[in-house]
Amino acid sequence: MATRVGLITRSPEATRALGAAMGRRIDSPAVVALTGDLGSGKTCLVQGLAEGLEVPPEFYITSPSYTLINEYPGRFPLYHIDLYRLDGVDDTADIGLDDALRGDGVAAIEWPDRLPDGLIADRIEVRISGDAGDETWRRIEITAQGQVRLMDYLNGLSEEERR
Amino acid sequence: MKILGIETSCDETAAAVVADGERIRSSVVSSQTDIHHPYGGVVPELASRKHLEMIVPVVAEALERSGLEPADIDGVAVTQGPGLVGALLVGFSFAKAWASARKLPWVGVDHLEGHIHSVFLEPDPPPFPFVALLASGGHTSLYHVEGHDRMIHMGGTRDDAAGEAFDKVAKMLGLGYPGGAIIGKTALEGDPDRIRFPRARLPGFDFSFSGLKTAVNRHLRDHPDRWAEEIPDIAAGFQEAVVDVLTEKLLAAASEKSCDRLALVGGVAANARLRESVGRAAAEIGVAVHIPAISLCGDNAAMIAAAGFHRLSAGQRSSLAADVYSRAPIR
Repeated sequence: MATRVGLITRSPEATRALGAAMGRRIDSPAVVALTGDLGSGKTCLVQGLAEGLEVPPEFYITSPSYTLINEYPGRFPLYHIDLYRLDGVDDTADIGLDDALRGDGVAAIEWPDRLPDGLIADRIEVRISGDAGDETWRRIEITAQGQVRLMDYLNGLSEEERR
Repeated sequence: MKILGIETSCDETAAAVVADGERIRSSVVSSQTDIHHPYGGVVPELASRKHLEMIVPVVAEALERSGLEPADIDGVAVTQGPGLVGALLVGFSFAKAWASARKLPWVGVDHLEGHIHSVFLEPDPPPFPFVALLASGGHTSLYHVEGHDRMIHMGGTRDDAAGEAFDKVAKMLGLGYPGGAIIGKTALEGDPDRIRFPRARLPGFDFSFSGLKTAVNRHLRDHPDRWAEEIPDIAAGFQEAVVDVLTEKLLAAASEKSCDRLALVGGVAANARLRESVGRAAAEIGVAVHIPAISLCGDNAAMIAAAGFHRLSAGQRSSLAADVYSRAPIR
């Protein structure tokens, strides 16, 4: 089974649906590292992830840039983290990251490149590329070592969806 | 009834004494902006540590300025959430202990409910019901306010808060933090119509500012050799897009609810262009506008004391087991 799967989504709704499908298949605490430019759809994918993790729909999943970390109740607690405005993180305790990474929930981290190298060895990598001005396609590449159910599902997607 | 209010949900340590939910006896706000400045925004753990240092002196100063003794205080109100958990805990635990030691009634207050109560600290407050727009760094929501404890959520942002969009664009333009004041000032020198940024018009009363932020980013990317010279125009064009959408939705909400009064609260309500735009649009259709003084737009404890007064008067009390919360479901 491939540990890396690439696929194309054709709308923000499809990106969100992919996030939801992933969320439903995450069955142990995990770190999801999301890489992609401003406007590529990272928060959109996390909104789907929240749906798949059964965060109640009364919670709007909004940008955590201001607070750095937003926490939501779900099948696992979902920590939505956005490190965009930090140039680099020297002390993970300073921003409260240690709590989110202690392993009781799913930590979805936007701009993980701000973190010290090697901080999180085992993670689900999600790389989104595309043109911020053109919403009709995003290339999404997902890499994970564990998470068998998730990778089974992604590997089982049709040739049409995978690229 | 004299209420001591305490607020530590984000980066201001604040305490205030308010009489009967409307007369400010004192209001002290200790800002941490300088500490967070190098990070371009609030750093949660640094905020908590600073709150720990400041909570005792800030409360003492609020009491001293009010001319009252602790024994004169009738109850305590404190922000319970939403906000940064570590920051909230400092004020919440302090208030719990301070009130319990004096056997005073105390109550946890929702931060957003607090912001809406800032209009009751001004002369001639609006009668119920009215429509309120709360716009700040962490929130952008519309409420139909039917009573002191009855605020119906009509819509809110689906991605970035309005104030956050200001911060992000200020950062892209290299203007610094916090972005609201800097963009407002820079925009004064710019032409708001020269560069037109998109206005996201979501159905109903929801907002989206993520696309606008992306559009500004794209503009910078597409004009690498030019944008540095047109910063005032970019700031003005961006600000105009935010102001347009906020004004439109607020007026539409008032019309939907057939309210002839509306309120504009939260840190973004300090933006001069927004105050002017909402004031003018409302005047055109004969709707009265309530906007608190600039000192009451940002986070403060007077608004928490005002909201708490009404909760305590209605007999509400928090228990020692009560805890803070980071995010709340929409109501």
